[in-house]
Amino acid sequence: MTKNNIPLGPFHPLLEEAEYFNLVVDGETVVDIDMDIGWMHRGHEFISEQKTFTQSIYLVERICGICSTSHPIACVHAMEDVDNIEIPLRARYIRTLIGELERIHSHLLWLGLAGHFIGYDTVWMWAWKYREPVLQMFEIISGNRNHYGMMRVGGVAKDVDSEKIPGLLKILDMVDEKMQMIAKVAKDDPVLRSRLKGVGVLSKQDAIDYCAVGPTARASGVHTDVRKDEPNDAYDLVDFDEIVLENGDVYDKLVLRVLEIFESTKICRQCLEKLKTAKGPILNNVKEISPGEGLGRYEAPRGEVFHFIKTDGSNRPMRHKVRAPSYVNIPTFTASCKGIPLADALITLASVDPCYCCTERSLKVIDPSHKLDNIDLLQISRDKTEHIRREINAD
Amino acid sequence: MDSKKKFLDAMENKICKKIDKKGRLYFEVTNENLHEVVNFLFKEMGCRLSTATGTELYAGIEVLYHFSHDPTGIYFCPRVLMTDKKNPRMNSITPIVRGAEWIEREMAEMLGVDFIGHPRKEPLLTKNNPGNLDKPLRVRSVS
Repeated sequence: MTKNNIPLGPFHPLLEEAEYFNLVVDGETVVDIDMDIGWMHRGHEFISEQKTFTQSIYLVERICGICSTSHPIACVHAMEDVDNIEIPLRARYIRTLIGELERIHSHLLWLGLAGHFIGYDTVWMWAWKYREPVLQMFEIISGNRNHYGMMRVGGVAKDVDSEKIPGLLKILDMVDEKMQMIAKVAKDDPVLRSRLKGVGVLSKQDAIDYCAVGPTARASGVHTDVRKDEPNDAYDLVDFDEIVLENGDVYDKLVLRVLEIFESTKICRQCLEKLKTAKGPILNNVKEISPGEGLGRYEAPRGEVFHFIKTDGSNRPMRHKVRAPSYVNIPTFTASCKGIPLADALITLASVDPCYCCTERSLKVIDPSHKLDNIDLLQISRDKTEHIRREINAD
Repeated sequence: MDSKKKFLDAMENKICKKIDKKGRLYFEVTNENLHEVVNFLFKEMGCRLSTATGTELYAGIEVLYHFSHDPTGIYFCPRVLMTDKKNPRMNSITPIVRGAEWIEREMAEMLGVDFIGHPRKEPLLTKNNPGNLDKPLRVRSVS
């Protein structure tokens, strides 16, 4: 059988950012995959070096619309690491609260999109419906639904009003209750299990070799979670479990994210309870940052966000390196996509958690030699789910 | 056993000037010893490569790798300095750490570093750029 190439991207609504995938298929089987990035290079590192430290925090907040607090937290960690700056207790709880709320809304966003890709639009609508109250919590805390502007070197910019805490806890209870319902669907539905079990497996050794991070690594049995490995902010003061599963397939990545949402609500609840009693300042007055090097990281919903700052004693970074988790997770497709049926390619590509903050424009490539295009890929993915559903119903 | 001590016991004679901070160990390493040090960090100690930072300094082009030892949360950062700015060359660590492929390709196109032994020497970010980008993008001193 002859091998065909199926181009996916560079601009496509299924992809996290503008990326290009070239799927090499032999019949129905994906035999190789190649990736190109650089379509939306914005030069954040270079721009940051022209900004003051405080301006850089706002800049990195705009790297991603979904991880919009993970980058600022990692950035301030890097700046604080240069001089080992301590931050007040109340600020530690607020940072942790914001970070975990972001994890809940990001995982719900992914869960909905994953459902959509395989033809489960009800999951999509439920997940996005119950993501909305989480965004409202952000609005109550920071005044913004996204890009919260909360992080500062030495603490946070805004306090959480004690009068608002009972209301926030009430919303959290409601999210928890609805998540139980979604989790039951995700774990008990026979079609979903059959559709995703054993699909796009990333072995533990491949996850280690490619230096994968976050849920992509943890679903393959690799213990890597910044919150446990280097517990900064209030992570050493709250009780939570690191979720690690073994199979490395899309189903495990789904279950892992659902379980992580419960851990996040647990952390948020503890932070809000502590904020009722932990009084004190929210910001240490940091006047300057010494010459030196500092690195900071934070466990974003997709994995470790890494920032490195080199300073020369001025009020701006001399070098600012940023590494988002997708940068190390996307190359794992080389291992997880080989040998899978074409119908499973989309959900495997989506399983590292695509980010939809960027453009949703698509480029339709029409090649007379083979008619498959991006929309066809979505259709055959959904057709396979329908086929499994019929088989299960027939039994 | 303390991971910093374990590393220094085995590799102290392979590294040069070091900066020991809380949870961090920055150290210089020569190009000749880089593979041995990286091999020890990645395979013996089970460190994970977070990324690498390439910087143009007055003294030359610097490549700083960031290895995270996840069980202890300590970072090991080997630093290689290439003084020949016009023709910076060093050994690639991608044959040891597959996860270094993209970042080394990126540093090659940004700073012009020739990574010897890299399995795929082609630009990462500018491969499909229609412009004629035949010089490093971020090196100020090479016009």
